[in-house]
Amino acid sequence: MIKIEHLSKNYGDLVVLKDITIEIKTGEVVTIIGPSGTGKSTLLRCLNLLEYPSGGSIYINGVDILDKKVDVAKIRQKMNMVFQSFNLFSHLSVLENLTIGPIKLKGMSKQAAQTKALELLRLVGLAEKTDSFPDELSGGQQQRVAIARCLAMEPEIILFDEPTSALDPTMIREVLSVIHRLAREGMTMAIVTHEMDFARDVSNRVLYMDEGIIYEEGPPEQIFEHPKEEKTRAFIQRIRSYTCRISSPDYDLYAMNAEIEVFCEKQILPKKTRNNLLLLVEELLQIYTPYLPTIVLDLTIAYAEKSERLKIVCESSGEAANPLDSDNLSDDDLGLTIIKNLTERIDYQWLNGKNRLQFLLKTNQP
Amino acid sequence: MDLQTRIENNAIVVSISGRLDAVTAPEYEKSIRELIESGHIHIVVDFEQLDYISSAGLRGLLLMAKLLNAKGGRACLANVKGNVQSVFDMCGFNAVFKMGNSVAEALTMLI
Repeated sequence: MIKIEHLSKNYGDLVVLKDITIEIKTGEVVTIIGPSGTGKSTLLRCLNLLEYPSGGSIYINGVDILDKKVDVAKIRQKMNMVFQSFNLFSHLSVLENLTIGPIKLKGMSKQAAQTKALELLRLVGLAEKTDSFPDELSGGQQQRVAIARCLAMEPEIILFDEPTSALDPTMIREVLSVIHRLAREGMTMAIVTHEMDFARDVSNRVLYMDEGIIYEEGPPEQIFEHPKEEKTRAFIQRIRSYTCRISSPDYDLYAMNAEIEVFCEKQILPKKTRNNLLLLVEELLQIYTPYLPTIVLDLTIAYAEKSERLKIVCESSGEAANPLDSDNLSDDDLGLTIIKNLTERIDYQWLNGKNRLQFLLKTNQP
Repeated sequence: MDLQTRIENNAIVVSISGRLDAVTAPEYEKSIRELIESGHIHIVVDFEQLDYISSAGLRGLLLMAKLLNAKGGRACLANVKGNVQSVFDMCGFNAVFKMGNSVAEALTMLI
């Protein structure tokens, strides 16, 4: 139905979309997720030609819509959009908001347009609001009217640009349930959303966008349960991280501790967890100290908000060697004993020319 | 780390507060070495005010035990609790040192 090939969009030097290639088939519900400012809305706006792409092609049912001869108004009828801020006509009643498009653009009779509008208002649960004006409705009701207005144009696909992000939590559900219903009825939809549970439930396919590209795509089970890419994982699990680089044995342990404490405070981690984390970091640094005159160590603390787990990753340059191997340990194994007690999992890898040690902190220490 | 000493029942009571870690352990080792060398070979280390200990601190305690052994002396620890107790548990230090629930109890264990 929609085929996008090598789509790009930039504003001067600012590159928003880079080389996007995707296909959306009839009846598919595709959600687009990712951090703010990564081009999700721009992608939708390019599809609807609200933004003109800088490069690439967009085909709708085989027609190149970037062809100068294409009738943009016709394209928008086929591919209607629901906006974050509803964009209803405030001077028109709910019924008039729904009938104006079909009458003016599709040449439908007033009677037919009103019959259709009532049917759609019933679909979104607002049949009793026909004579109300937008400012008499709640945000959730306004968005449902906007969806009904969009349906009144009988589009082949609906683009939703963060349809619930301007709504109070209490109103989000009513809008999402309408979108759910459309999905069940087989409407083709592309939805930009920050509602992860909704994206998981409603989609056939999820696109994770980051840095202007489709970073990972797949069925919801893959993206939400077993994301393949690190950035997808970080986004899905809402990972917050702190990294510091240590390149000398004369590192300032207390300055580092202070930064880790600030990081822990931001994540509202319990005091016991903070203490264990600080102890683990000190023990790790002690083990790395003999190597520090010649290597650079990047120590990352990553907190997954969703699972409430803390992961510590030590990436170091130098020859391939696990610093925790007994042959590589100086003195006794007191430090290693503490590390093993504080963690439930330790993984060593030689990855991309670096030694990578990864630790999963135990959640409940006695 | 702050380290205070006082004489009680013919022993020296060393009260440590703050952190016994990679930064402060050398200072602790130096002070203990000086005490032992000056003839104080019966020591109670009071951990009442100690918030944190790492393996570097544990090594400081092991060094103290080793120096005392060589001089025929002994050490007991008092008020080991909280995070410090957890680290002791991890490393089996409960078996290495005699420990009292108070300085008074630790002093009786020295005899």
